[in-house]
Amino acid sequence: MSKFRPAGAAALALFAAFALSAPAEAAKRDNSLRFAYDQVPENVDPYFNNVRIGVIIGQHVWDTLIYRDPKTNEYKGQLATAWRWTNDKTLEVDLRQGIKFHNGEEFDADDVVYTLNFVSDPANKSVTQQNVNWIAKAEKLEKYKVRINLKRTFPAAIEYLAGPIAIHPNEYYTKVGPKGMNEKPVGTGPYRVVEHVPGKHLRLERNPDYFKASPKPQPTIAKVDIRFIPDRQTQVAEMLSGGLDFIMNVAPDQAAQMKAVPNLAVMSGETMRIVFLQMASSEKTPVAAFRDARVRKAINHAIDRQAMVKNLVGEGARVLNTVCFPSQFGCTDEGATVYPYDPAKAKSLLAEAGLAGGFDVDLYSYRERNQAEAMVGYLRAVGIRANLRFLQYAAFRDQLRGGTAAFAHQTWGSFSVNDVSASTPVFFKFEDDDVTRDAEVRDLLEKGDGSVDPAARKAAYREALAKIAERAYTVPLYSLTTFYVMANELAFTAYPDELPRFWETRWK
Amino acid sequence: MDAALPSRSSVLRSRILGHAGLMTGLVLLAAALVCAIFAPLLSPHDPYFQDLSARLVPPVWHPRGDWLHPLGTDNLGRDYLSRTIYGARVSLLIGLSVMVVSGLIGTAMGLAAGYFGGRTDMVVSFVVTARLAMPVVLVALAVVALVGGSLVVVIAVLGLLKWDRFAVVMRAATQQARAQDYVAAAKATGASTFRVLLGEVLPNILPQLVVVATLEMASAILLEAALSFLGLGVQPPLPSWGLMVSEAKAYMFFSFWMIAIPGTALGLLVLAINLVGDGIRDVAAPEGRA
Repeated sequence: MSKFRPAGAAALALFAAFALSAPAEAAKRDNSLRFAYDQVPENVDPYFNNVRIGVIIGQHVWDTLIYRDPKTNEYKGQLATAWRWTNDKTLEVDLRQGIKFHNGEEFDADDVVYTLNFVSDPANKSVTQQNVNWIAKAEKLEKYKVRINLKRTFPAAIEYLAGPIAIHPNEYYTKVGPKGMNEKPVGTGPYRVVEHVPGKHLRLERNPDYFKASPKPQPTIAKVDIRFIPDRQTQVAEMLSGGLDFIMNVAPDQAAQMKAVPNLAVMSGETMRIVFLQMASSEKTPVAAFRDARVRKAINHAIDRQAMVKNLVGEGARVLNTVCFPSQFGCTDEGATVYPYDPAKAKSLLAEAGLAGGFDVDLYSYRERNQAEAMVGYLRAVGIRANLRFLQYAAFRDQLRGGTAAFAHQTWGSFSVNDVSASTPVFFKFEDDDVTRDAEVRDLLEKGDGSVDPAARKAAYREALAKIAERAYTVPLYSLTTFYVMANELAFTAYPDELPRFWETRWK
Repeated sequence: MDAALPSRSSVLRSRILGHAGLMTGLVLLAAALVCAIFAPLLSPHDPYFQDLSARLVPPVWHPRGDWLHPLGTDNLGRDYLSRTIYGARVSLLIGLSVMVVSGLIGTAMGLAAGYFGGRTDMVVSFVVTARLAMPVVLVALAVVALVGGSLVVVIAVLGLLKWDRFAVVMRAATQQARAQDYVAAAKATGASTFRVLLGEVLPNILPQLVVVATLEMASAILLEAALSFLGLGVQPPLPSWGLMVSEAKAYMFFSFWMIAIPGTALGLLVLAINLVGDGIRDVAAPEGRA
């Protein structure tokens, strides 16, 4: 996998050794960390973006009621101290006292009630509906006690309260709304925002008053500067010249090359992010061929997922047969039809569908362009003339939701939620990203999301996943490996949820 | 009688053969044309065939290279030599098509403005000025971003944008030619305006036209490469040199040849076209030169 020339590596290392020493040491001395990311969040308010960097910022600036320890997967109280189900659809939460937001506002039940009611109201247009649409209403019981009423039984609620559901300060949020929250974010988290220049950078500073009882350890790094650099090569060049201390999602080839550079460390690990191809097969699809299951099956047979994992995705990734991440509760490929790589079969299926001459189609993609190009190559080999349309995520999502795009190289990180309700249903429960619209699948997923009995949930999900696979609605591909490249004096721990935690990172 | 004066064609031949720049350009251009026309015969592999188990193979002169892939393979294991050869097709196709489209528009406007003068000239000059006020790259980027990149779109956009130099040069040349005796003579014999323009004026300003045409072709090829590099030109998996440079960008720190090979091909083709253009000007109208 690591294909680089020793001589070139040595030359580069030499260059880097000269260039790197000064700035990185400066960063270390003033205890700051400079991090770059390629995507720009439309709004850093965690309910108004659905990109990874938004999740990362969300976890640093805000806190959630519950916290899932990434090492043990055990739930701990964060803004909450205790919680209990009073019945299947009612959750009571005791809140922690003495916590202050970054602007000095005191944290209490009003904040929780306001936030949950605001984001779960579809009229407020949160872009992450699937994270909040199970909430019917939150009520204040006492100053430090709330009740959350659910629309339906939803056992995964705890996982969501421990992940994407950040708590906003009610007085400030009422005044400024999501727009003001983007300009000047305020939370209770371990870091506070000093400056946000949208599209350019976000400067964070350690929150000196961060509550001691938080399960997130007290941060040690004083300043985190997040810059938005869309071009990967610029990121790599900045890493080599010491202008940055940390980048992530580095392509496997580059990561292998950068391993040879002294002063830099490379870390990798499988992530919860799954990759799959979406084929719009609902009635309003712009590509009529996708209505035919044989065409969708042909595409499944056309792509050599093993070879892609081995050669392009990198160590640690695995081939998937269903649209969910295997560690998620309820995710399984038991009973799911598996479509092995078989170009001859693909061709004959296409011929059966009356498309022996192949057809033209646009494949939309927004990340891992080389993987998309490899798929274009595989499709071409069976006669499907796919053109690559590479877009920014927001445009990609809008074209897909708007019905102009029918064929998408989709990836999904489930907001790091370890429950299948955060992945498969997003694409199959008649929500915005569902381009299939199969009522039978939807009903099974509803059953899985809404049952209390874990065994019943598992059974419903298994059946739904098997139906999706049997009808070949998608091409499940693989999980992604992420490569982090950082200054080697940084003590950093990577977790499979693709969420760097700078509050527990420090300079050695 | 003494030996007859050398004939017109032999003078021309010796001028061409004696012009080093023109000869170099012609040889390079011929090579590119041969590559483009006979690409399927010359390429050792299918340029679209990918083999992920043979990715990033270095060229043959590298210790790890081999003759199976003389110029190595790209990041999807496609043969680099084959893609470079096929890339000549895309570049020449775009260069020639843009030249023809913009040449037709620009020449027609220039001829009309130069020959008729007066109000026609005013209108054409205004349109040319308006067109010059638009930055080509910016407009091309905007249009391609709007309607999506493809070979046809790139040709149409560049063809409709790059006629200005044709118009300006043709207008000036026509104004000069219009005053010549042969034009007056043709008019006197009762030739129609159309016939005067196509039969008398155009052939006499052809050398200038050829020079502009080559310049425009070279610049169209470079623009296509730039657009493709930005991801807004022709779309993968079509082998375009600009696209190859763009794809190789991720590897430039360690596998420089991936960027150097299509870059060199592009540079040589543009150089060849410019040399041919300059050479034709020298050979066709040596009177104007020292």
